[in-house]
Amino acid sequence: MSKDAYADALKSALNEIKKVCPDVSLSFIFTKDGMMVAKDLETTEETIEKTMRSFQSIEGKEDTIGGLQTLIIDGEEGKVHISYINDMYLALATSKNADVTFLQAITRVIFPTVLKLLESVTPTPLQSTSIQSTPSKQLVVDTLSGFFVGDSVQVDLGLLKEWSELLNRKSVDEVEIEAFGGKATQCKVKELSDQKLEGKGIVRIPEKICKVLEVKKGQLVRVKPLET
Amino acid sequence: MPAKSKSKEEIKTEEEEIETLQETLQDIKTREGIVGYILRGSNSASIDLKDPTKIIDYAILSATSLEAGQDIANTFEVGKVDAIIMEGGDMKILSMIIGDNRLSIFMEKNVDHEKLCKDLNLR
Repeated sequence: MSKDAYADALKSALNEIKKVCPDVSLSFIFTKDGMMVAKDLETTEETIEKTMRSFQSIEGKEDTIGGLQTLIIDGEEGKVHISYINDMYLALATSKNADVTFLQAITRVIFPTVLKLLESVTPTPLQSTSIQSTPSKQLVVDTLSGFFVGDSVQVDLGLLKEWSELLNRKSVDEVEIEAFGGKATQCKVKELSDQKLEGKGIVRIPEKICKVLEVKKGQLVRVKPLET
Repeated sequence: MPAKSKSKEEIKTEEEEIETLQETLQDIKTREGIVGYILRGSNSASIDLKDPTKIIDYAILSATSLEAGQDIANTFEVGKVDAIIMEGGDMKILSMIIGDNRLSIFMEKNVDHEKLCKDLNLR
C-alpha cells in the first residue's frame, strides 16, 4: 500500500461512514499540529482550516482536564463531535437528533479499527501522507507598498530554512499563496526585509498580489513552498 | 443600530433568572463528582471550585472552550450553541451561554452531563 493509498483509504472510510449514517453531514481527520489527513467529498478546505484554527486555541490549556479526548458542540440545528483517535482528531458534523450510540460506535469502535487495520497493512507514519508532503504554513498578511517592492513576497528566514531542510533543497525561491476565499497564486519569495517582523507569523505581500488574492492586511493565508 | 436598553422589568426578570440559576448551581455543586463551576456575567462572576488553586487554569479553559465552541459552531453552521462538552482524560466540562451569562461546570468523567442540562432547564 502506497503512502497516498493510506490517505485515500481514510477518505473512503469517511465517505462510507456517511453512507451508513446519513446523520453525518461532514467529516474529516486532522492532527494536533494542524495537518489535514483526510476529508470526505463535501467538506471544504475552508471549513477544515477554520476548525483547526479554533481547535488550536485550546492547545496547551487542555492539560487541566488530562488532555482533550472529545469536544461536542451541541447547537440548535446540529452537532459537532471532535474525537481524539490514535494521535488524530476525527471531526463529524451531524444533525441535531443524530443517534448518539451510533456516533459513539463510529468514534470508539469503527474508526479505531479502520486505523488499526491500515497500520497493520502498512505502518505508514502520518507525516508521510501525500497531503503533508508539502509543508504549508498559515500566516497573517502584511501589505508591501511603494515603487520598489517588486513581485516577491517576504517571510521569516527561519521558515525558508525550515522548508529547505524539509524539502532537501538548497533554498526555497517560490511559494504558492492561497487565500481562504479560494484565490491562489504563485510568486517569488524572499526573507523579511524588516527583521523586527521576524517570528511574528506574517507574510508581507505586495499590494498588487493582495488584489489578485483578494486579501487585506491582517487576514490569514496559507503559504507553501513550490516543489519544483 | 444601537442596542435597545433593557427595561426595569427585563432587568428584574434577568436578575430572578440568575438567582434561580445560582440556586440550581448550589444544588448541583453538592452532587457526587462535581468539581465546581464558574458563572461569568457581564459585570460579575461567581466561582465555586473544590480546589481554589486551579481557579486560573479553569477560568482560562472555561473561556477557551466557550470561544472555540462558538467559533466551531459558526463554521459548521449548527445554529445557536446550547452546550459545549469538553471531555479530557481525567474530567469534563459542560459550558453554556445563558442570557448574558457564561457558565462552565467542571465534573468527573462519569457524571451525566445530560442530566445537568435538564436540571438547568436547558433541554
